[in-house]
Amino acid sequence: MRKLETYKPIQARVTYKSPLKIKSDSLQKLSRDKRAIVCIFFLFIVFIIGIFSPLLAPHNPEELFYESILEAPSKEHLLGTDAIGRDVLSRLIYGVRVTLTVSLMAVTITFFIGTLIGLICAYVGGWVDNVLMRIMDILLALPSIILALAIVAVLGPSLTNAMIAVGIASIPGFARIIRGAAITIKSSGFVEASRSIGSSHSWILRRQFLPNVTGILLVYTTLFIGVAILDTAALSFIGLGAQPPTPEWGTMLSEGKNYMLDAWWLATFPGLAITIVVFAVNFLGDALRDIFDPKSSR
Amino acid sequence: MTTTLLEVRNLEKKFAAKSAWFKPKQYVHAVNGVNLQLAERETIGIVGESGCGKSTTGRCLLRLIEPSSGEVIFQGKDITTLSKREIKNIRKDMQMVFQDPMASMNPKLSIREILSEPLLAHKILRSEHEQLLSETMRLVGLPEEHLSRFPHEMSGGQRQRIGIARAIILRPKIVILDEPVSALDVSVQSQIINLLQDLQEELGLSYIFISHDLGVVEHIAHRVGVMYLGEMVEVAEKERLFEKPLHPYTRALISATPKTDPDEVKERIILKGEIPSPSNPPTGCKFHPRCAFTQDICKAIKPELREVEGRKVACHMV
Repeated sequence: MRKLETYKPIQARVTYKSPLKIKSDSLQKLSRDKRAIVCIFFLFIVFIIGIFSPLLAPHNPEELFYESILEAPSKEHLLGTDAIGRDVLSRLIYGVRVTLTVSLMAVTITFFIGTLIGLICAYVGGWVDNVLMRIMDILLALPSIILALAIVAVLGPSLTNAMIAVGIASIPGFARIIRGAAITIKSSGFVEASRSIGSSHSWILRRQFLPNVTGILLVYTTLFIGVAILDTAALSFIGLGAQPPTPEWGTMLSEGKNYMLDAWWLATFPGLAITIVVFAVNFLGDALRDIFDPKSSR
Repeated sequence: MTTTLLEVRNLEKKFAAKSAWFKPKQYVHAVNGVNLQLAERETIGIVGESGCGKSTTGRCLLRLIEPSSGEVIFQGKDITTLSKREIKNIRKDMQMVFQDPMASMNPKLSIREILSEPLLAHKILRSEHEQLLSETMRLVGLPEEHLSRFPHEMSGGQRQRIGIARAIILRPKIVILDEPVSALDVSVQSQIINLLQDLQEELGLSYIFISHDLGVVEHIAHRVGVMYLGEMVEVAEKERLFEKPLHPYTRALISATPKTDPDEVKERIILKGEIPSPSNPPTGCKFHPRCAFTQDICKAIKPELREVEGRKVACHMV
């Protein structure tokens, strides 16, 4: 075996797998998970409702029916009407749009800034990590809704600002999770190998860190959508998010609470809608965690 | 073996140990004044127990760990004073192979992506990538189809071939091999060693071969440096060192390697005690608490590396 030409490589016993195989492994697990399937299906329907709300809603959400104010659920108004005669079902259906847009945008903010902070803390370490993480700790010491409140108070109450506030308020928690996941990668051999090769920092972050945290990113982004929906609704409930007459579930809840005893349907249905959607998102997040991050499940 | 390619002078690395407030900082002396010369096409083996600083030395040469002091002179330039940008150019000529090929490769990247990393990092023209990739795969004796595989789909030996391929794809001058075969089983070890020797011949490489396995080092190295607690205790041509080790520590190490001939009478030197902690090393000669020949002078004065019988030894008793 002295000469290269005569050297014959040993045939591997492992069978050849296509590059997509790793990903489809996880997809396969996902397709076998009944919880996940049900949740995905449900959320898909919610999504469709959001997209096609003008077609699906029986009435205009801002149309006033003067002859039927505070009417109990009936054939004409399936979920009743509110104090100024608007159809609750229509408002609920239009509310899907607002809720989904706001929470997804908020999570997008959290996702990008949180991932960036988390990865930088893990990769750079030292005082940068210390300073950033202590700031995150201080922010974490405030309940996220109080933090969001403070941000909205500064920016002024509107749906866009609520979105930004909710997004920013979730960054600390998100950044911490990503840092925790990425810090194990920093000490791994392949990051050192990358450094020895002479790769740039951004290359190492993109090609060595990111592919190894995608699973965790997926899991926690999903879970944070649930948080964002709740926070947006809460901000709207106290009047700092969506402004009337925007049909938003939190706003509807807040309008309905004054009529709790006379017209139960006003607060009940938006409340139920929030609960069910958040439940589905969280359930999906848990299912994803079992698949992508099995170490931290239970 | 004529021109010196790399010269290491008084390399030192101190790690800050646990520091408490209002207490003087404590240091662990991982590498303490190592001197080395590496010639073109030469292989120098560095051996020693675990924790003696041989891996740290290797990493300091590439500045994966910043050395505390000392000089590393490569092509007339002192690497330790270069900026981050300049060090990148040096890394093109000096690459490293790691002990555990599985850990040193990102499991989410294919072999093609892993091998392309050095090419991208050093901005090699895209048009040359394919040729370099296939040529390097041929050099390390793997079929080109393996490029589309993932590290977990390969055997340990194949993975280490990829580790070597990644190190030589830029055609460096020096490859630092940090225990490249310790994670492999014996039959694969010899294949990898042969491969390394072939590559050295074909590409004109110089190796710094870090290992704790004397048998492997005896096979591949031209010269051997023996390290103990961060210091070189003996540096010699391979033949001389293995025939007649001078330093008591080297003697003990060599006596511990199994011999192929069962009838050969061999003297077995068994070292007493544990390797001392590098944060609190013994005074004088660091080896004196475990040495069979300890005299008073060993406890008081640190022996310098000096020429004895055509080699360098750091011992008062030789």
